[in-house]
Amino acid sequence: MAEYTKPIPEPDPDSAPFWEGAKEGKLMLPRCVKCNRVHWYPRLICPHCHSMDIEWIEGSGEGWIHTFAVQHRAFGGWAEETPFVTAYIDLKEGDRMFTVLRGVDPNKPEEIKCGAPVKVEFEKASDDVSIAFWRAV
Amino acid sequence: MPGELSKAAAIVGAAEANEIGYPEDMKTAIRLHIEAIKNVSDQTGIPISMIDGVFGAGWSSQIAEHLGIHPAYIDTTAVGGCSFEMHVHHALAAIHAGIINVALVTHGENGWSQRATKGRGTGRPQGGDKWSPDALWSSPYGISGAPSNYSHAMTRHNQIYGTTPDDFAHIAVVTREWAGLNPRAVMHSKETHPNGGPITVEDVAKSRLIAWPLTLLHICLVTDYGGAILITNPEIARSLKTKPVWIAGAGENMSHSNMLEMEDFTATSAAASGAAAYKMAGMGPEDMEMAMIYDSFTLTAGLTAEMLGLAPRGEGFTLWKNGDARPGGRLPINTNGGGLSFNHSGMYGMQLLVEAYRQLSGTAEDGVNGIKGKQTSARSCVVNGTGGSLSTTGTLVLTAD
Ligand SMILES: [Zn+2]
Repeated sequence: MAEYTKPIPEPDPDSAPFWEGAKEGKLMLPRCVKCNRVHWYPRLICPHCHSMDIEWIEGSGEGWIHTFAVQHRAFGGWAEETPFVTAYIDLKEGDRMFTVLRGVDPNKPEEIKCGAPVKVEFEKASDDVSIAFWRAV
Repeated sequence: MPGELSKAAAIVGAAEANEIGYPEDMKTAIRLHIEAIKNVSDQTGIPISMIDGVFGAGWSSQIAEHLGIHPAYIDTTAVGGCSFEMHVHHALAAIHAGIINVALVTHGENGWSQRATKGRGTGRPQGGDKWSPDALWSSPYGISGAPSNYSHAMTRHNQIYGTTPDDFAHIAVVTREWAGLNPRAVMHSKETHPNGGPITVEDVAKSRLIAWPLTLLHICLVTDYGGAILITNPEIARSLKTKPVWIAGAGENMSHSNMLEMEDFTATSAAASGAAAYKMAGMGPEDMEMAMIYDSFTLTAGLTAEMLGLAPRGEGFTLWKNGDARPGGRLPINTNGGGLSFNHSGMYGMQLLVEAYRQLSGTAEDGVNGIKGKQTSARSCVVNGTGGSLSTTGTLVLTAD
């Protein structure tokens, strides 16, 4: 496996189920038991109904591009990857994630459309951390 | 009908640090603060010892201590570039409530010099929280800095409304025209900067690509700036040698902090903060004779014009494209040359306030070498700051005496 050169997040205790799931290639999402809505990023309280009864579910890993940009300037390990496409992804379960979008041509951004379908994949960055990326389908 | 707080206080002076932009000698943030505070005290005749409220974006206690004063109201609201418009809102309420008589709103930021100081003298702690939402859920994906974020909103606006980056480029072109009338603007002319002077839509399109669809000339400068204003009650305001500019309306709001929570990428909370400010003033967008709109990016200004009701949704850029916002136009916007071409230190809200005060007090040529042209005849101005990643907004409606 090639060494992961980009910044590796340091998982926090409150989102541990996400990081555990990621290692197994599962997209774990927080869902409110009371109002049944998924939110992202993970909270201690449901931002919709303010219940603190939150469970974690395995998401479908399907979504759509909400909007995107092409980064021509970046720092750290990402500097060598420019240009690359970043995107906000509307999750099938609701709410939105941020990602580096794969399977698109950063030199032809006119061909990328808001609303186009994407699916999740995980890249192992370290023994403890796998990072979610999304790919155009 | 205006609200109870409308015109309960006035801005009575506005001044800048002695050197702003790209100074030859490196500046610290505290120097930029203190020079501006001294200058506004001299301008108004209000002694620094009379200031009993200090409002700054993050370190009001250090500033008060540096001045050797003991304020009765200390506000460190720091939610990005709109913090200063919010400070005015808070000061208005504190003065109306009789808690304080003279509020200082102050800003000092060495956005340029901190390269030379190696990050010192900024007045800000270094580094961030590894467990913040941004560090966990955004930064791992290679974004850093405002352009990498704001570019996503430009894409969405373009695809939803059928607009183009060239539409927004007109904002950069017109704002540069205003900079040509302001000798303190970094991009005033070839004398002030090798790339200064007039630009075209084509220049904007052909400038260096930073974060598609944003090229360099869609993006604000990174400079040094110090600015300070004094706000006081009507009785004191009437006794001074400077003209009062009345705070007719004020409002603030936020839609999110991290862009992950931005529900609509073609809208900001300026719709809400603007509505609150107009309501307090008993006025509407149709009553505004000029506007000072935060232009961290061409996108920010165009989108905010829509939110403030100055143009229909999706059509904010037309105010610049059709010439309304230009010198001599129907609705002058960003008459100082904006964050795009005048000065942008990282947080730009104070620059908006200083220019709005100068325009409405008839002193828009002050502090410079007397060239004519920037002063407008406007008697009312809507001022909107935007902070974070299109996150937070503060709106003011200011009126001439
Ligand atoms: Zn809920």
